[in-house]
Amino acid sequence: MTVRTLARPKTGPVAATLTLLALFALAAWAVGDLRINVATLVDSAGNAADFAGRMLPLDFPPAGELLKLTGQTLSIVVCSTLLSVVISIVLAVLAAGNTTPHRGARFASRAVIVAARAVPDVVLAIVFFRVFGFGAMAGILAMGLHSVGMVGKLYADAIEQIDEGPRAAVRAGGAAGGQELIAGVLPQVLPALVATALHRLDINLRVSVVLGFVGVDGLGYAIATSLRELDYRRGMALALVVLILCVVVEFLSGAIRNALLRPKVTMPPPRRAGQVSPQWTMARIGKTGYAVLTLVIVLASIWGAHLSAGQFFGALGNLGHTLSLFWPPEFLPVLAGDLWETVKIALAATLLGAVLALPFGALAARNVAPNAARFFRLLIVGVRGIPELVLAIVFVVISGLGPVAGALALAVGVVGLLGKLVADSLEEVDPGVEQALRATGAGRWQVFFSATLPQAAPAFVAHVLYQLDVNIRSATLLGIVGAGGIGFDLLNASRVLEFGAVTAILALVFVVVMAVELLAVGLRRVVR
Amino acid sequence: MSAVRFDGVTKRFGHTIALHDVSFGVEPGEVVVLLGLSGSGKSTLLRHVDGLHTATSGTVAALGTDVGQARGARLRDLRRRIGFVFQQFHLVGSLSVLENVCTGGLGRLRGPRLGLPSYPKAVRLEALGHLERVGLAPQAFQRADTLSGGQQQRVAVARALMQRPEILLADEPVASLDPESSAQVMRLIREIAAERDLTVLCSLHQVELALAWADRIIGLRSGRVVLDQPARTLDHTAAATIYGGAALVGSA
Repeated sequence: MTVRTLARPKTGPVAATLTLLALFALAAWAVGDLRINVATLVDSAGNAADFAGRMLPLDFPPAGELLKLTGQTLSIVVCSTLLSVVISIVLAVLAAGNTTPHRGARFASRAVIVAARAVPDVVLAIVFFRVFGFGAMAGILAMGLHSVGMVGKLYADAIEQIDEGPRAAVRAGGAAGGQELIAGVLPQVLPALVATALHRLDINLRVSVVLGFVGVDGLGYAIATSLRELDYRRGMALALVVLILCVVVEFLSGAIRNALLRPKVTMPPPRRAGQVSPQWTMARIGKTGYAVLTLVIVLASIWGAHLSAGQFFGALGNLGHTLSLFWPPEFLPVLAGDLWETVKIALAATLLGAVLALPFGALAARNVAPNAARFFRLLIVGVRGIPELVLAIVFVVISGLGPVAGALALAVGVVGLLGKLVADSLEEVDPGVEQALRATGAGRWQVFFSATLPQAAPAFVAHVLYQLDVNIRSATLLGIVGAGGIGFDLLNASRVLEFGAVTAILALVFVVVMAVELLAVGLRRVVR
Repeated sequence: MSAVRFDGVTKRFGHTIALHDVSFGVEPGEVVVLLGLSGSGKSTLLRHVDGLHTATSGTVAALGTDVGQARGARLRDLRRRIGFVFQQFHLVGSLSVLENVCTGGLGRLRGPRLGLPSYPKAVRLEALGHLERVGLAPQAFQRADTLSGGQQQRVAVARALMQRPEILLADEPVASLDPESSAQVMRLIREIAAERDLTVLCSLHQVELALAWADRIIGLRSGRVVLDQPARTLDHTAAATIYGGAALVGSA
């Protein structure tokens, strides 16, 4: 009898490599099939000049109207983020392994979180408009519920990462369940909770503008109306306002997030005898100021969104009837082809974007390009600041309605997200290995290719797959502004009240997103 | 009545037996040191006293209550009466020293509390009194993670005092501290025990500290009680037999 002394070769890595190669080939083919090539771009250049003529001079609405639109957008965004935070906190406590009261509750809340992520916000918006009528409520509910998919997951992760010690100490002191959560868990996760909420606020601001195309009030709705009337001067002026707003909000939330996650520890003056409360040091005034400001913004947003409980509960009575409109799903013949187009857009955008994002990201990593890193970081942040909607509109106007505009807009967006992820994972590699190679006299490029890149490569694969997942959702969403794919069918179906088709599209997108997610999970498990 | 009583307590974690038929009683006001190597069952034993672990078989009674049977409000009330000091201090680093001490009062307050102002002034004053006792009142408003290890452990002692405990459990309270801070923390625990007539159960792994601070030493090896004697009747060599020569061959 022969005895095997070597481990059986594993098939996992081979299958993973083949899958990745197949994805790459498919993406390359999609780029060609969508006719994204130099000739198209040269043709578009002519259109661009033409387009510039039609959009200039920009025509801004009067200041009062502009403020009102901006206020509407911001109040919807703040309310929806707040809603997602409230729901997510409850779900996260149930979903985190260390705080869940029961395995069943854990599974159920995880399932709710995954489902919230899988249902596109635009579909939710269409359903809620039908249920609650026009106004802020539909947009707030749509974005608020969809955001739970991301916020709830990150909150649950944050709770699972706490140091259990303080919590055990509080429990050992005789605290009840709720007291234990507030005193032992909350202080540890609070910075992460706020940072995640601010991050989602950024995302929701962009999404809310896109949802304007299906009727969510604010700047997006005004842009959609102007473009429909071919009033590019007004449309592009508003798009510029959105761009500035996004950059300002991103800058502010980034600064606050940084301050929260890397706090400067200040020493208060020693306590004087008899003193029961801390002194009003600058640090304490600042902290309280932030809290008060947040409260004011939230209250103003709730007031500004004109929410009414009557509208909410009145519509709930009709919910059964409204939902029956969406059943049965109606699989129009055109949907399969358009879904395929959406997938092609996402694949092409991921490939084109990655080709740009990998070198940009590498140059933005401090350990790879010490001199250029700061500049490229700024560049990436700048690109990230541009809302995909604005890019999509510009590309739609330049290269016409259709998938090329969508793919190009998403590809630029990839530089912003993937570029940052690439830079971060390069900076996180073990510097010891790099030093070891440098010590042998290796040059900068040799160190990069032999020490830095191999360590970060598994993370790249995970990031690119994540980007593909993001792009499929975004490609669906951008379709509603005319950037090709199944999103356009969604807009049409909601306009002509073919709600069965909305359900069919939802089901199709759900299946695709889940398939990509499973693929990504499988590949991540192998590529480490 | 004993303050703490173990009767034939066995604890299994899967296939590992952490405690094996452990029986002993501790009288009110006694200061007992549990001595043994890491992994000998000291922490597991302490955690049975306030119900953070429950026995696989046998019974644990504390302050006249069967710990294994206590649930809900009764268990919380029992825990309130038993202070616990951990090796790693277990303070919330981002909160102020004073707020950390106040959390010790949660067992007798109603409802969750968030932030120092949510604790009644009387509670804050009491917490300040305990901080005064451990010598850290001037640092009351600093973040807990700005203190040294020895200072953090003294804050943890103040937090335990906030429970107005009758029993104080300490799990390797000085294992993460330098010798000077160790002596300071042990002296503090000893003094407080005398002042408040506390029953103390403290685990240690250094023989010298045990001999210096205990009334009575209980030795544990592989989950069994291998020694139970008044400290004054022991000398270094006798106490070291607990380690069964394991110290000579390294980690056995």
